[in-house]
Amino acid sequence: MLRLPLIRAAGLSGCRLGATGLHTTASKLQAPPEQIEVFIDDIPVLVDPGTTVLQAAAKIGVEIPRFCYHERLAVAGNCRMCLVEIEKQIKPVAACAMPVMKGWRVKTNSDLTRKAREGVMEFLLVNHPLDCPICDQGGECDLQDQSMAFGNDRSRFVDINFSGKRAVEDKDVGPLIKTVMTRCIHCTRCIRFASEVAGVDDLGTTGRGSDMQVGTYVEKMFLSELSGNVIDLCPVGALTSKPYAFVARPWETRRTDSIDVLDAVGSNIVVSTRSGEVLRVLPRLNEEINEEWLSDKSRFACDGLKRQRLLTPMMKVDSKLQPVEWEDALVAASRALQQAPATKIAAVTGKLADAEALISLKDLFNKLGSETLATEQPFPKDGAGIDLRSSYIMNNKIAGIEEADVVVLIGTNPRFEAPLVNTRLRKSYLHREQTIALIGPEVDLTYEYEHLGDSAEVISQLKNGTHPFCATLKNAKAPLIILGAEQLGRSDGSKILAETQALAASLGKTVQAPENWKVLNVLHSNASQVAALDLGYGSSLAEIKAQNPQVLFLLGADDADIKREDFPNTFIIYLGSHGDQGACIADVVLPGAAYTEKNASYVNTEGRAQQTGTAVNPPGMARPDWKIIRALSEFIGVRLPYDTIHDVRGRLEQVAPHLVRYGDIEPANYFAQALELAKKTGSFASDPLELKQKTLDEFFMTDVVSRASPTMAKCVQAVIKQRQAQL
Amino acid sequence: MASAVRTVRRQVRPILSIDQPEARSRVLNLYKAWYRQIPFIVQDYHIPKSVIQCRKKLREEFLKNAHVRDIRAIDLLVIKGQMELKETVEIWKQKGTLMNYFKETEEKKPTDFLSKFLSGHD
Amino acid sequence: MNLTSNRVIRVLLLKNCSLSKALKNVRGVQSSAGRLSDHLFVHRDSEENNPNTPFEFNEANKKRVEAILAIYPEGHKRGAMMPLLDLAQRQLGWLPISAMHKVAEILKLPNMRVYEVATFYTMFNRQPVGKYHVQVCTCTPCWLRGSDEILQAVTKAANCAVGHTSADKLFTVIEVECLGACANAPMLQVNDDYYEDLTAETTEKIINALKNGQDKPPPGPQVSSRFAAEPAGQLTTLTSPPPGPGFKIRSDL
Repeated sequence: MLRLPLIRAAGLSGCRLGATGLHTTASKLQAPPEQIEVFIDDIPVLVDPGTTVLQAAAKIGVEIPRFCYHERLAVAGNCRMCLVEIEKQIKPVAACAMPVMKGWRVKTNSDLTRKAREGVMEFLLVNHPLDCPICDQGGECDLQDQSMAFGNDRSRFVDINFSGKRAVEDKDVGPLIKTVMTRCIHCTRCIRFASEVAGVDDLGTTGRGSDMQVGTYVEKMFLSELSGNVIDLCPVGALTSKPYAFVARPWETRRTDSIDVLDAVGSNIVVSTRSGEVLRVLPRLNEEINEEWLSDKSRFACDGLKRQRLLTPMMKVDSKLQPVEWEDALVAASRALQQAPATKIAAVTGKLADAEALISLKDLFNKLGSETLATEQPFPKDGAGIDLRSSYIMNNKIAGIEEADVVVLIGTNPRFEAPLVNTRLRKSYLHREQTIALIGPEVDLTYEYEHLGDSAEVISQLKNGTHPFCATLKNAKAPLIILGAEQLGRSDGSKILAETQALAASLGKTVQAPENWKVLNVLHSNASQVAALDLGYGSSLAEIKAQNPQVLFLLGADDADIKREDFPNTFIIYLGSHGDQGACIADVVLPGAAYTEKNASYVNTEGRAQQTGTAVNPPGMARPDWKIIRALSEFIGVRLPYDTIHDVRGRLEQVAPHLVRYGDIEPANYFAQALELAKKTGSFASDPLELKQKTLDEFFMTDVVSRASPTMAKCVQAVIKQRQAQL
Repeated sequence: MASAVRTVRRQVRPILSIDQPEARSRVLNLYKAWYRQIPFIVQDYHIPKSVIQCRKKLREEFLKNAHVRDIRAIDLLVIKGQMELKETVEIWKQKGTLMNYFKETEEKKPTDFLSKFLSGHD
Repeated sequence: MNLTSNRVIRVLLLKNCSLSKALKNVRGVQSSAGRLSDHLFVHRDSEENNPNTPFEFNEANKKRVEAILAIYPEGHKRGAMMPLLDLAQRQLGWLPISAMHKVAEILKLPNMRVYEVATFYTMFNRQPVGKYHVQVCTCTPCWLRGSDEILQAVTKAANCAVGHTSADKLFTVIEVECLGACANAPMLQVNDDYYEDLTAETTEKIINALKNGQDKPPPGPQVSSRFAAEPAGQLTTLTSPPPGPGFKIRSDL
């Protein structure tokens, strides 16, 4: 709806690619437009034509107060806080919406500007309740800060007996967002976010004049996988976090920079803690990954870090798990590992395992003579397998999605597997005329896409040029294929990968767009997957089942559908943070640290290594995972040669140097070789591509942390309730 | 430069003792005073230690500073020892304070990985 | 909730003067918007107004929808929103939420975008109204010319309080702001027709005629001396014919 439908319609009739081609090439051919000079507070600044006054001021570090303006949203220009004086203009102008003209002299601190701001502030405060002491936004409130900085220092609101402050009833927009609509100053940021970024057009303004209110009009919850971001966007306390309500003030909390691991995007986060408790998680700006957004699961699942935790080591005594001392648990585990022959031990790693734990476990198993290490989500071994990095990472980077003109999604639902990848797709769909096609089950991606079918055969058809969509693909300047890692676990996973590689290679020939353009991208949903594959976790669960191991080591593997029945005589050692699937079937449970409790490395789907920070200490007797494995190795008698995190990282560097180059991406470029190695044999399975997460209720609880989170459970309930109400 | 340092050291004002033998005799005097006082201390404070144990501890405490060669430092230690003795004799101290001589005040922090791991130290 | 409690306080204030003094010092915690020509700006499902009641344009109106949509170029079809909402309101007499949904469906817009428009304009009736929607102007010029009596006459004749619908569902009487016929004050509007230059008697006559199902009284000024908005009585200015060429021009030119 936001996308200009005219161009869209034109595009559908065939001339669309010409139009985009014009768009991309023309912008290159044209000389960059001449910059114009304006003066902000008498400081000259050169800007491109079309820059707004506010942006020009920001360029030289002059901050103009604003409420409604936000860099990532459309300009609304309705709060009027950014009024500034421009020389030789009678009235102050709204800086956020006014493009600069040559030679303008903007005065951001003149008497007129100050008076205008004071006036706007006074009007905003006339209808704003004076409830800062009971408002959760207190301390991080734009209105508070700006009324201190730019408001008048005395009030003319003397009519205290007048009970006519505007009051608006609160809306129920779901279990995540608490609304106090009386505090709303109608900046419409939440509305614009919902409609532009989240793609859920449920919010709007109703009514007019002083009765105008922001809401949903009908009784409907604002349910989106990104809804939590409106809390950050809201400049006042109208939208606050419901789970965090009345919990803490910002100045009481300690903030630790960290990385989110509940999906494979690796969003940058800040963990707010107070006295050893994670209170909330906020996004941290990273233009290359999550911009400034965060998915709801990453933001609100943090209360799952306090529940269902494994606090002490446990051992099965009389077929019941009993808490024991570390020594006992480690002795039991080591005895089992010592007694088993090297061919009869195996390890499976879960989705939250960090690189340090992965390397320790691998070193331990290698020392014991075993190479049977598997990831929860299998990766095909045929062809190049995991040897060539280019076949399992998102080669073109997350930010690179924006450059693409045609995107083919194969067996993935980025909206729920990686919400912040989906925002990029939606962004380019809206602003860059991106064409998106999907192979797989039909799901709501918040934008229109061409559904090419749900059979894996379509990949071959695209490759052979027998599919109608090939016409579009052939003309694509910057095509992109995003393959969902989930599909690689199918019986025909290697065939899917090989065919996709072949398709990417055939598309690669016609690519004209940017240099280093990489067509093939794999979108993972498990945070540990790329690091595990980098480190050589090459086995699969099926192999392990066939091997019938004597000892099975689960490194936080809770989602792999490992059942006790499959391993009746196996001694199972579980290392992880939460009492979930894995701990239930274990003989020895070793309590590990969750991602907020350790300094650990994770590699996201792009292959970008990042590290989490220790926000709080592990609860009870839990220890960082790699230390447990290191201690276990000593008990077994094959001491691993590292004592500190630096030693482990040194070892990581030996194995895969890019794992410790934090923030950087090591590009992989072995597509041709991978294709060469890919086996062309085999055929597609007849069943259509399936997805684990198709609807919103399937998004919220996907790992141990979110499954333990009551907030996430409430979200699932809310989605189901809303769906039933609308049926 | 070195000579300058030497001249400075020569000009340092002594605290009590002028030379090494004098300092030594002061130390020995203090030691004897403590030695003679120990039976009374054991009795007065009613500590669960024998006189022999206490004298052993006394010797241990003195030998802790056996390496000190600086006369001024020796003098200061002697002064502190005298103060300590005075406080003890006058029963300005309490039983527990005396017993502290016999206790390790801190547990040794583990140094190897495994004991650090098991005790939960980082 | 607050609405009712506040109303109760207001009614009490009117009824009991001594009580009102006592209550005057009570600081109201919350207050709600007055209900004048518009209603709550949130939707509450009711028996007659809920998303499950079907709404469909009738055959004649379907053709009109086509015609309206044809006016707007591809890509700007959402411009047809207000005409379509109006069409829906004309079909039913008011605009239920299912009609808004229908319009959203036709225009391929999110429902919220239609709610925004429908709630912004007070002339979209989001609650059922009587067969005759009587809007009495009480803005300054009309008020100066006696709109209070007009309003009183209307409520009495229609047997219906301001802001309410009469029991026989014939009339809904509301007070509105200026309808732009100040030259013919006082005035009221019944559905699409303006009745101007009213007196209490003529008002009563109009309402009664409507009530008795007689022919619709002719709209416009209700005094015989006026045809439209021309001066009452006679012209007060420009009474003489305009001067011819050469008027007030120097004789030597």
